Amino acid sequence: MTEVSYMHLPFDVRADLVAAQRRCWAHLAQPGTWHDGAKRLAISAEVRNARNCEYCAAQKDALSPNAVEGSHAGLGELSDAELDAIHRIAMDPARLGQAWYEENKAAGIGDEPYLELASIVAMVMIVDTFTYGLGLPDHPLPTPEDGEPSRYRSPGAKVEAAWVPITEPRDMSESDGDLYPSGRVGYIQRAISAVPDSKRAYWDLASCHYLQMEEIPRWDTDARAIDRTQIELIAGRVSALHQCLY
Amino acid sequence: MLRESSQTNDTDFDLTELTAGVTGAGDIPHAKLLGDFTDAVVKRDTGPLAKHRAALLKALGAAGLVDAAAVAAAFHGYVRLADATGIPYEHAGFGTDTSELRAEIGLDRFYASELDDRG
Repeated sequence: MTEVSYMHLPFDVRADLVAAQRRCWAHLAQPGTWHDGAKRLAISAEVRNARNCEYCAAQKDALSPNAVEGSHAGLGELSDAELDAIHRIAMDPARLGQAWYEENKAAGIGDEPYLELASIVAMVMIVDTFTYGLGLPDHPLPTPEDGEPSRYRSPGAKVEAAWVPITEPRDMSESDGDLYPSGRVGYIQRAISAVPDSKRAYWDLASCHYLQMEEIPRWDTDARAIDRTQIELIAGRVSALHQCLY
Repeated sequence: MLRESSQTNDTDFDLTELTAGVTGAGDIPHAKLLGDFTDAVVKRDTGPLAKHRAALLKALGAAGLVDAAAVAAAFHGYVRLADATGIPYEHAGFGTDTSELRAEIGLDRFYASELDDRG
């Protein structure tokens, strides 16, 4: 089940990082809120496949991604709209827009299934980028588990501030579980709140790689082996190279 | 966030290097090594990455390399979540990442293919 291992490295990887990546892999294999385990792993595989998609490369090089004719080279298990969503989020996220989002929605991806898909793309990108940075191949994806998605819809989710529905702290329901355990409610924390299980899984993984929530306001935190200015230098450079305005 | 952490830690760093490329001219320890490593990770530039990773390992040790790779990885997720959901960015970074700051460091300019992001 846990194909995540760093035993072949000549040095140790933080135990909490390895544990978080293993929890992520286990999460991906399980039935989610809107997609079953097999589909979640098909989405994960497609994230990796997008790296070699010539259409994505052509879109990336074009002045506008819409100026390029063609189609994504997919693995064949997902709809065209899902394929486009995965490839665009993975390979050209800076030029996503609401019109694109609405087009894919009209093509059949619902708000919440899209959010779960986006969370999977983001989580696979985190784990794969980490291994790539250390010079390792991708971890094998896990084997899907049987079961049906819960299809839980957060009752308070609504479209207001973003393209996607958000469950604001004031609109949380008991059935959502603890959506904002740290008390941090920036928009990045709210982004996928309409799918509570995906939100929790994403932040469990992301916080282990960056900083735990309680460390973020501590500008002089010593929680990592590199200091805060070094952390933010890397963070800022990654964001700038992606031309992410957030 | 970099501006705030630099001020708190009394560290000098020219924020325009975030878009223009990290030169190592400021006070952040091993900034050039971290910048080179980060660029190679984002661009999936495997040859240079091996060299930069080795340099970073020598300078920061294994724990530093692991944490550098982890932070770079984390932000490959954050940017995608932010861009894929259309969340407002006016209040990012505790409200510190103002439009003036984005303009100052050149992040507002038209999408630039020379950034060559293949992340």
